[in-house]
Amino acid sequence: MYQRSAAIVGAAHSELGEVPGSTGLGLMADAAVAAVADAGLKPSDIDGVVVRGPDDEYAFQQQLGERLGLNAAFSTSLDNGGASQTLAVILASLAIEAGLATTVLCGYGRNSWTRTRQAGSRRARMNQSTHNRAREWRDSFGYFGEPATHALGAQRHMAMYGTTKEHLGHVAISVREHATRNPHAQMQTPLTMEEYLAGRPVTDPFGVYDCSLRTDAAGAVVVTSLDRARDLPHTPVVVRGFGSHNNLQGWTVDDHMVTTAAKQSGERAYRIADVTPADIDTAQLYDCFTYMVLAQIEDYGFCEKGDGGEFIAGGALALDGAIPTNTSGGQLSEGHVEGMLQVVEGVRQLRHEYPEERQVPDARLALVSGHGGNTVCHTTLILERG
Amino acid sequence: MSAPQPTTEPMRPRRVPPQPTPESQPFWDGCARHELVVQRCSSCERFSFPPTNRCQHCWSDDVVWTPVSGRGEVFTFTVYRRAYAAELADQLPYVVGIVELDEGPRLITNIVGCEPSRVRVGMPVDVVFDDVADGVALHAFRPREE
Repeated sequence: MYQRSAAIVGAAHSELGEVPGSTGLGLMADAAVAAVADAGLKPSDIDGVVVRGPDDEYAFQQQLGERLGLNAAFSTSLDNGGASQTLAVILASLAIEAGLATTVLCGYGRNSWTRTRQAGSRRARMNQSTHNRAREWRDSFGYFGEPATHALGAQRHMAMYGTTKEHLGHVAISVREHATRNPHAQMQTPLTMEEYLAGRPVTDPFGVYDCSLRTDAAGAVVVTSLDRARDLPHTPVVVRGFGSHNNLQGWTVDDHMVTTAAKQSGERAYRIADVTPADIDTAQLYDCFTYMVLAQIEDYGFCEKGDGGEFIAGGALALDGAIPTNTSGGQLSEGHVEGMLQVVEGVRQLRHEYPEERQVPDARLALVSGHGGNTVCHTTLILERG
Repeated sequence: MSAPQPTTEPMRPRRVPPQPTPESQPFWDGCARHELVVQRCSSCERFSFPPTNRCQHCWSDDVVWTPVSGRGEVFTFTVYRRAYAAELADQLPYVVGIVELDEGPRLITNIVGCEPSRVRVGMPVDVVFDDVADGVALHAFRPREE
């Protein structure tokens, strides 16, 4: 069993939002430099790199190592989509505990806002799926884009449990409210239910406010042993436990789109960390769409399956709610970097870095989730203030 | 964005021919004949989808393309209100659904033959075929007429 011997000692994000001319690699390098500085370390201290690049890049960690002048005892690029960024911290922790590496840089960067504005790219991207398999089985039926995949889950959840569009709206409104206190967030103005319901329709039941943002940004963290962490500037954030689960048979199989892989991933993480959902002070959940917050709040046991809509409508996600969630504004309102900013936010909350208006009071345990890889891969981190 | 046009003939999206692989070719050949075929295991008698060389359930390599009933129900669905390609703009709104066949497998498809606002989870549906190119047809499902 994992001995809880790894800790996050540095965390940072790059410039965030609309960064014209940016590249994913350049933003990743910016975040990496800032995270290593935040940790009080120097480049030569880094001997591990676990990152993820764009889906069409091969061995992305090599590009980052080249750019930052790093060789590594242990490095790889991950292929679990939005679950990769939390998985990176798990692999880093295991590598450190096993003695494969001492100090590992993890991160992810993307330039989604810039890329979709480059001439011709939008049409080319939307007209054809990236992957051969989706081209054959989805494109012919006019099935494009990730919103539809999650909308299929939302619609099924609504039919099974009576979840409503307004319930999804409370997710969007709650995380927007957090974003209004985050000066880096892309969205700064509060969202009303009226505005939410009037949002431009996308694919039922989703409108524009159910969908995460297009963002140029990167995030990075530095993981090292807890022993080393004691000598560094910040309060260590201990990697207390983690879990993962991958419903490789697919999103449309069994009940995977309603009871997601977060359920088994969370159960493993709670067991390894020896905590319960009631012990968690704040959750930073992978909110690619409003529905995924609702599903995960249930799957992680913060309320019963099917009760998420009412639970969230009652204010559960607020700073003083039952489970303060996505306190940066999340991917719906701060910026979408495939879960990496959720790791960074979890660390900052546990360091008690924020002014009172944004700080989860006395936060000691944070749950961070990652979800992706054709919506079937899920990873959970349980972080603890050291 | 202009409002969706009212229609009496429910829309289906512009449907482009798939690019089959050697493994999936028999499925699309079946569609071209207006016959829905799915692989069934000769050993455990269960169905596997998408196309495979091994039974998903018992790993037998004796999987045989078998006609199925074409009957099923809507497992879930979504109505597209936004076009992801210019060619689809005049097709809105259209319905992408997951249909669970009576035999078990679930297919990504289109729900046609009724107004998108009438589609429901659990709705009984039957397969129909749409000839989209010479020798190429795609499946869709429409509400079963009782």
